[in-house]
Amino acid sequence: MTTYNQLAGLRVNYLGSDPTLNTGNEGQVWYNSATGTLRSLVQIQAWSSAGNMNTARFALAGAGTQTAGLGFGGYVISGGNQNATEEYSGYTWANGGNLGTARRSIAGCGTQTAGLGFGGFSTTATTTATEEYDGSTWAVGGALGTARRNMGGAGLQTAGLGFGGYTTVNTNVTELYNGTSWTAGGNLNTTRAELAGAGTQTLGLAFGGNTGAVTGATEEYNGSTWTSTNSMNTARKYLAGAGTQTAALGFGGTTGSNTAVTEGYDGTTWVNSPSMSTARRRLGGSGIISAGLAFGGETTTQVATTEEFNSTIFSPATGAWASGGNMNTARAQLASANAGTQNAGLAFGGFNWPGTNYNATEEYDGSAWTAGGNLGTTRRNLGGSGTQTAGLAFGGYTSPPVPTGLQLVTEEYDGSTWTAGGNSNTGGFLMGNGGGTQTAALKAGGGSAVSTQTEEYDGSTWTIGGALNTARIDTTVDGSQTAGIIVGGEAPGGTTAAAEKYDGSSWTSAPTSLVALQNQGKSGGLSAQTALMTAGGDGPTVSPATGITQEYDGTNWTTAPTLSTARRQLAGGGVKTAGLVFGGTVASVTALANTEEWSGPQTTATASTLTTS
Amino acid sequence: MALFIYGTATNTGKGFFTAEDRRNFFLRGFPGDVWVIGNNEKGALWLAEKNGVEKTKAEAQAIVDAEVTAAQAAYDALPEDQKNRPGFNQRPTAITLP
Repeated sequence: MTTYNQLAGLRVNYLGSDPTLNTGNEGQVWYNSATGTLRSLVQIQAWSSAGNMNTARFALAGAGTQTAGLGFGGYVISGGNQNATEEYSGYTWANGGNLGTARRSIAGCGTQTAGLGFGGFSTTATTTATEEYDGSTWAVGGALGTARRNMGGAGLQTAGLGFGGYTTVNTNVTELYNGTSWTAGGNLNTTRAELAGAGTQTLGLAFGGNTGAVTGATEEYNGSTWTSTNSMNTARKYLAGAGTQTAALGFGGTTGSNTAVTEGYDGTTWVNSPSMSTARRRLGGSGIISAGLAFGGETTTQVATTEEFNSTIFSPATGAWASGGNMNTARAQLASANAGTQNAGLAFGGFNWPGTNYNATEEYDGSAWTAGGNLGTTRRNLGGSGTQTAGLAFGGYTSPPVPTGLQLVTEEYDGSTWTAGGNSNTGGFLMGNGGGTQTAALKAGGGSAVSTQTEEYDGSTWTIGGALNTARIDTTVDGSQTAGIIVGGEAPGGTTAAAEKYDGSSWTSAPTSLVALQNQGKSGGLSAQTALMTAGGDGPTVSPATGITQEYDGTNWTTAPTLSTARRQLAGGGVKTAGLVFGGTVASVTALANTEEWSGPQTTATASTLTTS
Repeated sequence: MALFIYGTATNTGKGFFTAEDRRNFFLRGFPGDVWVIGNNEKGALWLAEKNGVEKTKAEAQAIVDAEVTAAQAAYDALPEDQKNRPGFNQRPTAITLP
């Protein structure tokens, strides 16, 4: 009998467990001695045809997902620049609202109901025009700083990223959009036009393009700086992209002649995937690595062709909470360093029933809590900002009666010791409160009762900021001193779902959360205004406590899987995609010591067992 | 078939339950180290692997009730001025298991 060794020239690996299931092991076969099975990482990827666009065109932009895609702008031979928008349902394209400025070579990002179009070439020149789509109508947004066409785009309508492109020459300029205006970011290392993009404003990806010659150069963006990484296997320009910084898809384009080649990126390496049926350049793209969408483009003329890419090897998994290390001191009504990370958290102060306040500080390393320096003032119901090595504690409550037990005291943490900072103007009940850093902190609401007060800390002094629109206490404050957010809390009329965002001087209304809650935990850090997760809390419909998780992307609130232990009066840290909550109480029975860590949605691979059937 | 398995198990911290566990079965924690677990093969296996002790729903509810009763007694013994602000130091309330 012919053996695998004779066929492949290799022996089947004899392994005690499955190897790491990544692209490097795609197509490999091994024997798993633990399960007694022959195993393989089988790739099942393919493009399939889908419904044509209503308007065949090229040099258009794309946004959204495979089942909720958005295509807009572009060019039609003998028809000129296009303003038409089309929405893809997963089956068919339907016409949406027209762009205000017809143009080709436009860039896009966002979603089908919150899209962003920017740059391009209008009647006679490159343009700075930016437009925002709400699912039916385009509205004028803030103009790009640099007019250009054929640039890359990534991110969301309220956190967009535009990079590279062509002015009168190729450019490496990067700009960041906040929902209102564009600001300068770090320049690309490789100046180019006609490139593709994927990911987010703070985790962006640029690849391919034209530097004077076709290129496969790939760069990753961290919110301020581009770093070059491994190039695509097929250098090309006028390609399309989809996905994230660590799970991207690049497809189509031209190498000198049109190509259908598709490549997947895992954060390190590009690997070839099955090609599209129709080779084309200047096409639109959207979706994720396991569910991509290609539409329109140019063969020898404009086409309306749509294709869907599906991969069974990389299947998306929902986000979920997992247990973290238990705190040494169980407590509720504690505070945290809001800008700490999932692997560098800080907890301080707090309370346990029936009547014990704490000055204990604990530091989290991603698996265990260890004792840090004690607060100078033992207290509960306090606020916190900063990081594990540059933390800030303020306000809180020591002992009855009110108001003499309410604290104005601020303390600063250096990673081992707390020292006195400047007193706040109004202290008191500030649980869940605190955005920014040790030297640029933000607190809002709370105090001795519901309030509209805002205070900003500069490292030594608290000054009064713009007043909240909705007075509240036991609320959630996060973000930064110039991009803050507040949501929920107890208001005069009861628990509120109201949210507001702060620009450094005034608060304006933001979309209300899905459930009215107070005493919540939070993960968002300095980017919370556009990427916040709240967990737990209590409210009129979820007493005594809930595990509800709500996510905010700067535009919409959505729910996510709940905490394993419902709780209120907890604290949190980390960011929306890698959050951390700890402490709290279920029903004021006793305080909790346990920690939960949030893992955002992931792309996972599944190995297959080979059989003889 | 019942929707849930009831049991007690001590949360040992990191790794006690994983994100994959949470994707595989329902899991909720309550006072007294009581856990309510989705009744499927992976949920049952998880409780066994954590050296948990399976309980009936009534037994699990009784453990939670005892925790609540003890906490209420401790709260009631506090001076009145330590109970002065609703939402700040509330009397422990009853918990009903799903």
